[in-house]
Amino acid sequence: MAADSRTASPGAAPAAGKAPRKRALRARRRSRVGLIFGIMTLIAVVMLYPFWYMLDNAFRTQSQFEQQRGNSAVSWGQLFSELPAGRELFNSTLICVVSILLILAVSTTAGFAFAKLRYRGSSTVFLAVVAALMVPLQSIIIPEYVNLGKLGLINTYLGAILVYVALGTPFATFLMATYYRGISDDLIEAAVMDGLGYERTFLRIALPLSWPAIATVTVLQFIQIWDDLLVGLLFLQNPQQRTITVGLAALSAGRTTSIPVLMAGSFLSAVPAIVVYLIFQRYLVRGLTLGMGK
Amino acid sequence: MSVSQAASRLARGTSPGQPARPGRSRLARRRRRAGILLSLPAVIVVLALLGIPIGQAVYYSMTNWNGLTAQWIGPSTYSTALSDPVLWRVLENNALLLLAIPFAIGIPLAIAALLNEHVRGWRFFRSVYFLPTAVSWVVIGMVAVQFFALNGLMNKMLAAAGLGRFQTDMLAGQRSALIALAITFIWSMLGTNTIIFLTGMATLDPTLLEAARVDGLNRRQVFFRVTLPLLKRFVQFSFVITVISAFSALFSLIFVMTNGGPGFGTTTLEFFVYQSAFSLGQFGTGALYGIILFVIMIVVGLVQLRLIRTEDGEGW
Repeated sequence: MAADSRTASPGAAPAAGKAPRKRALRARRRSRVGLIFGIMTLIAVVMLYPFWYMLDNAFRTQSQFEQQRGNSAVSWGQLFSELPAGRELFNSTLICVVSILLILAVSTTAGFAFAKLRYRGSSTVFLAVVAALMVPLQSIIIPEYVNLGKLGLINTYLGAILVYVALGTPFATFLMATYYRGISDDLIEAAVMDGLGYERTFLRIALPLSWPAIATVTVLQFIQIWDDLLVGLLFLQNPQQRTITVGLAALSAGRTTSIPVLMAGSFLSAVPAIVVYLIFQRYLVRGLTLGMGK
Repeated sequence: MSVSQAASRLARGTSPGQPARPGRSRLARRRRRAGILLSLPAVIVVLALLGIPIGQAVYYSMTNWNGLTAQWIGPSTYSTALSDPVLWRVLENNALLLLAIPFAIGIPLAIAALLNEHVRGWRFFRSVYFLPTAVSWVVIGMVAVQFFALNGLMNKMLAAAGLGRFQTDMLAGQRSALIALAITFIWSMLGTNTIIFLTGMATLDPTLLEAARVDGLNRRQVFFRVTLPLLKRFVQFSFVITVISAFSALFSLIFVMTNGGPGFGTTTLEFFVYQSAFSLGQFGTGALYGIILFVIMIVVGLVQLRLIRTEDGEGW
C-alpha cells in the first residue's frame, strides 16, 4: 500500500525519538519490500528476455551471431529481400482491419438484440451463438477448407477474413450483450417512444455508448488475428496474400534463413501488436475479466 | 465453462419493457422484428461457418476420404482410429502437457500476490509481465528454439552453474522436446493468468484481509486460508483458459519449435489433425481427430459447469 512504498523510499529515515521496536519493524518491512522488488525485477528480466534477444541478434550478421560478438544492420536488409515484409505487413493490417470491422458489425447488432430486443427463442439462439465458443478451430478446419475451396476463396483475403470473423463472433457477441445489458432499459424505451425506432436507437444511442466494449473487442481481435498462424497457413498459401506472421513461420520452416534475419523479422512482426497493446492495455484486461461474466 | 454459465444467466433475465397494455403491442411487434433482424447476421455467420462445418466434420470422420475419393464407412472408423497406437501416443503427449498446468497457474498466482503488494513500480512490472500476451506464439517459439539450442542460453546457464554435464539439445529428444514445449507454454501463459489473478485480488475486501491479520494469521496463512478460497472463481476461469490453450492453441509453438517431432514426440491432437489432413492428405482421419478434440473440449466445459453448479448449490 501507500505506507509500504513510503517506507521503501531510501530517504525515509526513521524519525528521531521513535521506540527501537518500531524502528526494527520498519527495517524489517523495508527489507521485505526490497526483496519483493528484487524478485519482481528478476521476473521482468525473464519476461523481457525474448525481446532483448530478438533485438540484440537482429543487429548481427550470421557469423557475428555465431561468435556472439559485433553488430551490423546487414540482416535487416536481407530480411526485406528474403521476405516481402512490407507487403506482408500491409496484408496483416488489411486482414485485421476488415475482419474486425465485420466482427464489430455482427456482434454489436446481435449483442444489442440479445440484450434489449428479446423475442421468443432469442435466449436459446444467444446460448447457441455463445456455445460456438467451444468449437476448436482444428475441429472445423477441414470442412471450412473444403467449403471455401468450393467457393474459390482459398488464397484470397476474403477466405481468411471469413474464418477470422467466424472465430471472433461468438466471444464478441457475448461481450457486447454483456455490455448492453448494463445500459438502462428506460433509456432505450424513451428513445423509441421519441420515435427513433429500434434500429436508429441502436445506431444513435446504444452504439456510441458502447465504445469501451467496442475497444475491448477490437484489441482482443487485433492481437488474435495478427498473431494467428494456422488460418493464414492454410487459407493464404500464396506469398502475395500472406500475413507477416505466416510469412515468418514459413521462412523459419525453410531452415535456410539465418537466425539474425529471423530475429529481425520476428521483432518487426511483434511491434504493431505491442504498440496496440501498450495503447489499449486497459481494454485488453477488461476483456479478459468480462469473459468471466463479471 | 464460466462464459457459458454467465451466458445462461444473461439469457434467463427478463425482457425489458414487456408489453403491459394492448396499445403497446404494435411496438412489441416492431421490437421483435428489429430483434430478429439485428441478430440475424451473427446467427448466419455462426451457423454457416461454425455450425454446419462441425456437422460436416462428423460426416467426413466416418469416411475414408483422402482428398480425391470419399467412401462412406460409418462409425467403425472411430474404433479403427482408437485402436491405432499412434493416436494413443499423441493423446499421451496431450496428457503429459496437462502436467504443465499446475505451473501455468501456480506461478502466476505467486506473481500476482507479489504485484498485489503494490510495491513501488508495480504498475510498470504489471505492464512488462503482460507484454508477451501481445506477441505471436510464432515469435515466442522462434526465440524458444534458440534458448533451448545446444549453444543457447539454457545450456550456457547450466554450464555457468557448474552443471555442464546436464547440457543437452532438448529439442532433439522426444521427451525433452515435450518438456521444452511445456516450459515455453508455461512462459506464454504467465501474463494472461497473472492478470486474471491480479484482477481477482483487486475485488477482495481489504478489511477482510486486515481482520485476518489482526486475528493473528501470518501472511502465508492469510494467502492460503483467506485470499485463495476467495479467488476460487478466478482460479477456475484461468484453469479453463489454460486447459483450452493446452489442447487447442499450441499449434504455432509446435509448428515453429519441433514440427511435431522428433518422431511423434511433440505431436498433440490439434497438430495431428493438421498433419493428417494437410501433410498426409487423410482428410477423413483428420476430421475424426478434430471431432475427438471437440468432444474433449465439451467434456472440459461440462466439468467446469458442474463445478460451478455444485458450488452455487453450497453457496446459497
